[in-house]
Amino acid sequence: MGASRTIPSGAGNQDVDAIVSEFERLGYVTDRSLATAIYLVTKLRKPILIEGHAGLGKTEVAKVLASFLGTRLIRLQCYEGLDVSSAVYEWNYQKQLLAIKIEEGSDTTVEEKERHVFSRKFLLERPLLQSILVEDASPVLLIDEIDRADEAFEAFLLELLSDYQITIPEMGTIHATHVPYVVLTSNRSRDLGDALKRRCLYQWIDYPSLEKEMKIVRTRLPGIEEELARQVVRYVQSVRQLNLSKPPGVAETLDCAEALLALGKPQLDQEAIEQTLGFISKSFEDGAKIRSAGVGNIISQSTGGI
Amino acid sequence: MIGSVGPSSDPARTIVEFCRFARERGLSAGVQETLGALQAAAALGVGNEEELKFGLRSILCSSKDEWQLFEECFKTFRGRSAPEPSTNRPTRPRKELTSRVSGRNPTSLISPSSGDDVSSEEGGGQAVTGASARERLTKSDLSTLSHSDMATLERIAFRLFKQMSRRLARRRRSGPRGHVDLRKTIRRNISRGGEPMNLRYRERKPRPHRLVTLLDISGSMSPYSLFLVKFLYALQKHFRHVDTFLFSTGLVEITNLFRAQRLQDALQALSQQPAGWSGGTSIGGSLREFNQFHRRKLRSSDTLFVILSDGWDTGDPGVLAAELVAVKRRVRRLIWLNPLLGSKDYQPIASGMRAALPHIDVFAPAHNLESLLTLEKHL
Repeated sequence: MGASRTIPSGAGNQDVDAIVSEFERLGYVTDRSLATAIYLVTKLRKPILIEGHAGLGKTEVAKVLASFLGTRLIRLQCYEGLDVSSAVYEWNYQKQLLAIKIEEGSDTTVEEKERHVFSRKFLLERPLLQSILVEDASPVLLIDEIDRADEAFEAFLLELLSDYQITIPEMGTIHATHVPYVVLTSNRSRDLGDALKRRCLYQWIDYPSLEKEMKIVRTRLPGIEEELARQVVRYVQSVRQLNLSKPPGVAETLDCAEALLALGKPQLDQEAIEQTLGFISKSFEDGAKIRSAGVGNIISQSTGGI
Repeated sequence: MIGSVGPSSDPARTIVEFCRFARERGLSAGVQETLGALQAAAALGVGNEEELKFGLRSILCSSKDEWQLFEECFKTFRGRSAPEPSTNRPTRPRKELTSRVSGRNPTSLISPSSGDDVSSEEGGGQAVTGASARERLTKSDLSTLSHSDMATLERIAFRLFKQMSRRLARRRRSGPRGHVDLRKTIRRNISRGGEPMNLRYRERKPRPHRLVTLLDISGSMSPYSLFLVKFLYALQKHFRHVDTFLFSTGLVEITNLFRAQRLQDALQALSQQPAGWSGGTSIGGSLREFNQFHRRKLRSSDTLFVILSDGWDTGDPGVLAAELVAVKRRVRRLIWLNPLLGSKDYQPIASGMRAALPHIDVFAPAHNLESLLTLEKHL
């Protein structure tokens, strides 16, 4: 397999270490738990299901995994009503109609015409088919927010993930030459089917600890002052305790810190918090809660102890 | 190290034993998973316990709850001196259901007349009850019925609910003709040189409503809540997507319990829930909890949101109104069914109910079977 060159072999330890450090070099701070799971993905070739709150970098895992393996990322964003024609393949009808028109005068047989209009030339490849057709190396297939698709699609996916083949009635069955690495993410808006869950490795991503979040901020925003970074992280971490309807994720921390850099704020004061509130809370009610919780208290918490 | 802890020094064997151990404690560690665990161990080596633990966890778990369960399993397995199962068994109370039927109100949920014997009595019910008696029963307030009347009513109800849902299903399927299916059209007309003579249609996929229901089980609702639970069970069978909650002072999701194939099983599972039967009420608080944790279940395009409650709220009416507004924004229709609305002289003057009224699309009674059946026209 093409990708096996880049996968460290040998038993345990160094390989997981390598994933941790390599992911960090690529800008993704991870822990040993996730790194171990990633290692098993590359080793056992099982799909991985990543769950967690929004904004904690679930999607990012697939992207970084693709660059780590030096391979392509193919992404399928799920939504309600997602069907086979937008996830797997569709025929290019207009082009087919034209082709039939053009051939009208020629004396080819109906069978030949049929074979012609149902050839690969007229096939619109959607992400799942693409992932099977990749010819040089196993791609990373990201199936994002699988919980948003309906059960029918989930059942189809289950079939795909067990055989890595797709049948197109007009063309026959296509087998994957290189089995993709599959990453599924879910926000847990509904429970997934047991069969699908059991087929996957499972990883839960929680809100990061203070140290980890600091490290993430430092990695993603190398220009930031240590002092300011610490203030922002403390601030966001205490906002998470406030029982908001949508607690800020790491993405929000980064947005907030970046905004402060852009505004040229040396530290997180009352005014800065007010200016960046829109990055931390995405609804009016949450914003009001943060304000009424006493922004001052939060600052003193986030500036104290340094 | 896990290899040295178990009773055997063979790591593979220890892994298998651990899988069995985890299975006994409720993790879904079947043959597939055990094989996966062995593969993972082979890939990771047994040198580093933490990694091995992470690896096994990613194989054996498939939800966040199971992570926590795994943590306990792993700890117990490492530290166990004598194998003694069932000391603490946090989740999956399924197996012990039948043996533990206790508690005041929940137990009475499982009345002898309910369950699968009801469904087998489709034809027979008629002979027992005459038409006029049926008329009387469907119209009488649930809180006034005697025990035997209740049993009869339940039989009738189950059948009628079934009919209702069958009607609903039919209604969804008919409708305007769908789009032209280009793919089939081309296929059909190739012999005519691709001229689209016969159009093929793609039928519009039935787009079922999602149903989210919140049932009040506080003290003031207790004459009704048991019957309403059964109503909800019948109802949810016929929506593709249902989320069901109980609330009194807090919110409890029972969607999963309701997935049981038989009503009997569902009710039995329900009776194990520490849901605060017949306690106080905080509708606003419960709705807030809903908005906080389950808001994603609402889709404004097709969600029906049904609250079954008498509106006696001990909380702040302002909170109730605010949370209802938040719900309203994300649903297609907000329906409030109130059993008290059945009595002639009822006025919605309870402060909670009054605060809620402006935000409700449909305000309807739910005190007898007839009123529940008329709900159909809102679905």
